Amino acid sequence: MRTLNLCILRGGPGRPAAYQTYRITVDEHLNILDAVQKVWATQDPTLLFRHACHHASCGLCGVRVNGRERLMCLTPIAEFPDGATVTLEPLRNFPWVGDLVVDVKPLMERMAAIQAPYVRRDELTAGGEEGTRFEDCIECGLCMSACPVVGSDSAYLGPSPLAMIKRLLEEPRGRDIRSLCLLAGDAHGAWRCHSVMECVEVCPSHVDPSQAIGWLRRYLILRGRRQPAEAQRR
Amino acid sequence: MWIWQALSGILLTVLLVVHMVANHFVVEGGLRTYADVIHYLSNPVIFLLETVFLMVVTAHALMGVRAIILDLGISPAADRRLKAALFALGTLIVVYAVWLTGSAVLRA
Amino acid sequence: MERSLPYRPVSEHVARTPWWRRAAAWADLHGRREGWLAFILMRLTGIGLVFYLFLHLTVLSTLARGPQAWDAFIALARSPLFVAFDGVLIFGMLYHGLNGLRVILLGLGVGSRRQAELFWGAFVLSIVLTAVAVRMILMMG
Repeated sequence: MRTLNLCILRGGPGRPAAYQTYRITVDEHLNILDAVQKVWATQDPTLLFRHACHHASCGLCGVRVNGRERLMCLTPIAEFPDGATVTLEPLRNFPWVGDLVVDVKPLMERMAAIQAPYVRRDELTAGGEEGTRFEDCIECGLCMSACPVVGSDSAYLGPSPLAMIKRLLEEPRGRDIRSLCLLAGDAHGAWRCHSVMECVEVCPSHVDPSQAIGWLRRYLILRGRRQPAEAQRR
Repeated sequence: MWIWQALSGILLTVLLVVHMVANHFVVEGGLRTYADVIHYLSNPVIFLLETVFLMVVTAHALMGVRAIILDLGISPAADRRLKAALFALGTLIVVYAVWLTGSAVLRA
Repeated sequence: MERSLPYRPVSEHVARTPWWRRAAAWADLHGRREGWLAFILMRLTGIGLVFYLFLHLTVLSTLARGPQAWDAFIALARSPLFVAFDGVLIFGMLYHGLNGLRVILLGLGVGSRRQAELFWGAFVLSIVLTAVAVRMILMMG
C-alpha cells in the first residue's frame, strides 16, 4: 500500500479556484485514476472528474499530473514515493467546467469540421449507434492542452485534428479532399505549427502529430493546390 | 510563409558566415578603421553581397514578427494591414541602409 | 488572394482571453520539456535579434557622421561590457540558426523521435562555439 497527498485544483466558473489536498492510501499497483476514484468514494463525493474505460482507450481522464498532461489511468501510483504530494490540475486551453473536468467541445468541433465526427454517419448501423474507427488517436485532448499555439490562436486546428487530416488524406474513403487541403493549408492549419514537440511527448497513443504535420506540409508543397481528384474515389 | 522563413533562414546561415568572415578575417585583425570599412564597401561585389544579406535578414526578421503576431490569431483584415506595414518598414530599412553606406562610400 | 475556406471552428474561450495573457502563457514552463524550452529560447533570441538589427543600423549611421564618430564607436566596442554583449549576441545568432535547422527538419516530419537530443545538440554546440568566438575576440584585442 502507498499513501499519497493528492493536491487537486478545485473550483470552476463562478466558484473560487483553490487547491485541496486529500490524503489517500492505495495499492501501489493501481493508477492515479483509482486513487482519485477512492477519494471521491470515501472522502468527497462533490469532486468532479471524468473517466470511463480505465485502459487508455476512451481518452476521458486526461489531466495535468504535476503540471504534465497525462491520462490518470496511465499514471502508476508506483511512480511516486510513499508520502509524496501529487498535484492534479485540469487540462489547459479548454473551457473549465469544474475541478478536473474541461469542456472538450473545441476538439470535437474540429474533428467534425475535418469530416471525422466522433461517430461517423456512414458507420452508423441500421438503427444502432455503434461506431468504430481504427485510428490511434483517442481524442483525449492532451496534445491540445500541451500546444502553445492552441492556447493563443483561437482558430488553429491543433495537433490531433491535423494528424487526423493526414490520416484521412492517406485513406479518404469518399471525403472531400479539397476542403481538407484548404483547412490544412492555410495560416491556421499545418503552417502555424512551430515544432514545439510537446504534442508528441504527451500523446498516450503514439500518434506523433508533429510527423503528421510535416507529412501534410510535404503533401501540400508537392501537390500544390491541385485537387487530387484521382484520390477521391478510393 | 513557413516555407519562406525556412528558405531565407538557410540562406541566412550561409550569408551570415560570409558576412562575418569578410568583416573580421579577410583583412588582418578585421575591419577596424573608418578607412578600412569604406575601402571594403567600395568593392561593388561586396556592396551587392551585403545588400542582399541585409534584404534577406530584414525579410526573415519581419516575417518572424508577423509569425508571432499571427500566433495570437488576428483577423484577415488586420493581417493585410500588418503585412502592408511590415513591408513598408522593411523597404525603409533597406533603403536607409543602402543610402547610408552608399553615400559614405561616394563621399570618400 | 482570398480563398473560400470550409467551416473552421473557433475556440471562443481563447478568442475572449486578452492577447497579452495568451502571449504570457508561452512563458509558462510548468510541466514542460525540451521542445518548449527550444521554442521559448527560439522566440526570445528571435525578438532579440530583431532589436539587434535596428541597433546595428543605428551604429552604422555613425559612418555617415565621418571618421571621428566611427573610431569613437570602435573604441567603445573594445570595452569588456561590449565584448560581453557580443557574447550574448553570438550565442543568440548561433542558437537561433542551429535550432532553426532543427525546426526545419522537425517541421518537415524528420526526426521527431530524436527532437530532445537535437535540441541539446544545438544548445551545447551554440555554447561551445560562443566560447570559441569570445576567445577569438579577446585574442584579437
